[in-house]
Amino acid sequence: MRSRYVKYGIVLVLVWLCGPVAPVAAQSSDAPPTTPDTLLDGSVLNDIWLHINARDWEEIHTNYKEGTYYPIDFEWRGIRVRNSGMRVRGRFTRNDRKPSFRVDFNRYVTGQDFLGLKALDLNNELQDPSMLHDRLSMLLFRGMGIAAPREAHARVFVGANREFAGVYGVVEEVNKEFLNKNFGEDGGHLYEYHWQENWGFQDPGPDLRWYGVRFEPKTHDTESLADLYMPVRDLVEAVNDAPQSDLEGKVDDYLNVNTFVTEIAIQNFLAQTDGLLGDFGMSNFYLYRFAGKHLSQLIPWDQDLAFGSLDEPPWHNMSTNVLAAKIWDEPKYRDAYLKKLIEIADLMGPAAGSPGVDDPSTRRCPAPEGEPPCGWLEQEVFREYVQIRDAAHADPLTPFSNDEFEHGIAFIEQFARERGNVIRQYVAALAPELLTVASRCTPFSHVTCR
Amino acid sequence: MSGGLPRYVQHRAHLALRVAAAALAAVLLSVAAPVAAQTQPDGSGSSANPGDPADGPRVRFTFDKHPSIHVRKLFELDVRVKSQTDWRDFPSGPGTVPKNVFDLHRARVGIEGTLLMRFDYQIEREFHDTTRPWRDVYMDARVLRDLQIQGGHFKIPFGLDQLTSGMDLDFSYRSLAGTYLAPGRDVGLMAHGRLFTDVVKYQAGVFRQGGENVRASERTEAQSDRTVAARVVVKPWSGLRTRRSLRSFAAGIAFTDGRLPEGRNSLRGKTVPGDAFFEPVYVKGGRQRVGAEFQWRPGPMSVQAEVMRARDQRHGQGIDNENLPDAVARGWYVSSTWLVTGERKKDTVKPARPFLKGGIGAVELAGRVESLSSGNKGSTGVSFAGPRAPWILGKTDNVWTTGVNWYVNEFIKLQADLIREQREAGGIIIPAQGRLWSRTLRVQFAL
Repeated sequence: MRSRYVKYGIVLVLVWLCGPVAPVAAQSSDAPPTTPDTLLDGSVLNDIWLHINARDWEEIHTNYKEGTYYPIDFEWRGIRVRNSGMRVRGRFTRNDRKPSFRVDFNRYVTGQDFLGLKALDLNNELQDPSMLHDRLSMLLFRGMGIAAPREAHARVFVGANREFAGVYGVVEEVNKEFLNKNFGEDGGHLYEYHWQENWGFQDPGPDLRWYGVRFEPKTHDTESLADLYMPVRDLVEAVNDAPQSDLEGKVDDYLNVNTFVTEIAIQNFLAQTDGLLGDFGMSNFYLYRFAGKHLSQLIPWDQDLAFGSLDEPPWHNMSTNVLAAKIWDEPKYRDAYLKKLIEIADLMGPAAGSPGVDDPSTRRCPAPEGEPPCGWLEQEVFREYVQIRDAAHADPLTPFSNDEFEHGIAFIEQFARERGNVIRQYVAALAPELLTVASRCTPFSHVTCR
Repeated sequence: MSGGLPRYVQHRAHLALRVAAAALAAVLLSVAAPVAAQTQPDGSGSSANPGDPADGPRVRFTFDKHPSIHVRKLFELDVRVKSQTDWRDFPSGPGTVPKNVFDLHRARVGIEGTLLMRFDYQIEREFHDTTRPWRDVYMDARVLRDLQIQGGHFKIPFGLDQLTSGMDLDFSYRSLAGTYLAPGRDVGLMAHGRLFTDVVKYQAGVFRQGGENVRASERTEAQSDRTVAARVVVKPWSGLRTRRSLRSFAAGIAFTDGRLPEGRNSLRGKTVPGDAFFEPVYVKGGRQRVGAEFQWRPGPMSVQAEVMRARDQRHGQGIDNENLPDAVARGWYVSSTWLVTGERKKDTVKPARPFLKGGIGAVELAGRVESLSSGNKGSTGVSFAGPRAPWILGKTDNVWTTGVNWYVNEFIKLQADLIREQREAGGIIIPAQGRLWSRTLRVQFAL
């Protein structure tokens, strides 16, 4: 009897304790987000509603080559940012069927932001049937410690009738907020590089106007040509003048060589053909020069042409870039570069020597017991694929068929499984001594080995 | 022509004006040629009817104030030349477009006169403006004693300041309201006249579009529709034999009503130096203007005031295609002048003692307070600057102008103005461009 009262007492105490907690918990899950993390962390497929006048929606497609802003209300999770501006963005992927957009939250209302973001990009994924190249690449950059935009996916709905306009990549813009978040400062000079020709740090001469055409200032844009571009010219001259045996000594003041090695290693690991070592010269990056310093950093952008080829050698286009060529030609830097590739392969997984997958069509991640385990990249591909699959299949404006989408996914799954070993083989052929213990781990043990 | 107008619109506008000018010239020549043919070789001419009171030379050339041709009572033609050259000191800074210090503001040549004693005509071309060179091109027929019908290209009857000739302004520049809220010229047909021995003056007409003072995008829009306008001015004491000072008292009202093509075609609003001030917003539906005016010229002094309001409908222009509250623009001014040298204030002031002819000319002091504003802030909702914002961020340009006018003689006039502007957005003075001073000096020549 006594124990029964004790039990009742305990239950009552528990009810009393839990009572207030439950509503609080419910409130916290329903409470509107206060940071953009939920939007950009990729944990869910977002729903974004662009409220736009029907005539503007028609015009933005008709005049897709122009940069005209149209007023919109941007809505996500019940948060409606009124009186924002939106224009078509992109260069080679501009089209009138499914344009990419830039949403500018303070276009018409000075100081307005959306959870701290001044702007967002909506990427049409037009060059990528799988829709995942850019997002996976940026994830890898950030995983390797390189500042890169966060990205997620969203179903975009448009107009008063909330019509489905397709799946878009939601990309964090490289701007002052990005700089603050990643570098803890925003007082430096930020430039967006605009591709003009096959250029890879070759010295174009003293004319600063050459730089003006290619490096669009995103901050301090009212400064003189000299203030804006002499430091960029100094960087290029330092790259060209530096002896390959002492790059750190001559270049590090302007561009951290180790960071650059990491960046080109990631892009060549991902067989990116339109990046810093692109087939047509450097492309798709921002340059940020830190406040009060000569030092700059390259920030990757628009990596949708990554995952180009499974067998692409890791020295692809190294000779076409002045700095990359010096790195490749100097044994100590080449070793650093090859080590970085191995490091990336290990991070991506699976471990060296992992057995192949018998039937890729039935492959699932995490892998069932008895199956070869999924590496990090393969697991991420699978997670993101599941997240966007239904929406991608229903996308009314994508130029790709559902079969093409599935083939695209299948290829990057294969890439995720096999690219590491391909890279290891290339490295082994050049410098077998660089293969670490971790890379020679037995199958299924890479996590432990690392 | 150049400028931002589509070629086909430029072509159509030019063609219409050319046809009108050619037709008018043909009519004039058809009358003048036979008469000229009757002129005697010695130029004295001969009368077909010796008993005609206008007996004398059939074709008479004179050059009093301006070159004139008179063909008895059949035809009169005056050649007019007008020019205005400005020296300007406008503030520079954010949101301004650099402007030349010297500006040839007007360079016009025209003809005007009467045909068959019943038809008045005017053709005027601005050589400074290559995009829209034709100004007044019209024929005005006296149908009845109290009714005239005017057709052609001329000013839509709205706004006292706008309807005042640019050569007769009391200041270098028209009021902002008169410049941007009044519609200006268009092609149309208008009935007008005076009733009750000049106590009531009326004007009512229909015009092809909404005037030249609207945005270029509206002028060139194929959907643009006609505008109707009417103006009534009452001079209740015009017939008084006593109290002469009250005779010039006039008060009037005016309105226009037209259809707006869909687009960012809301009314323009600019600052005194001519920089864009009102942001264009999307409109669709009707545009209505209402205005009231007042003028009184007791002796050498004058007081003049106007208030006007224009509203543009915005049917279906919301973000979600909903109807938006009307876009509203308002303007008013009060001005006053005093001819220190004592001449009587008229539209065209003629100095009693011209300079170098025993006098100093006529000297006039002038002052004006005015305001031009946009916005439609209601009791609820937040105002924004966006082109589809339900509540438009209010903008106001408050201007104070003081000036001195020197009428050297009947041909030359000098105007010096000091202008202070205070520009506000959302009720707050705009940083860095909120309080500005401008100075202008104008040399005007009229023949």
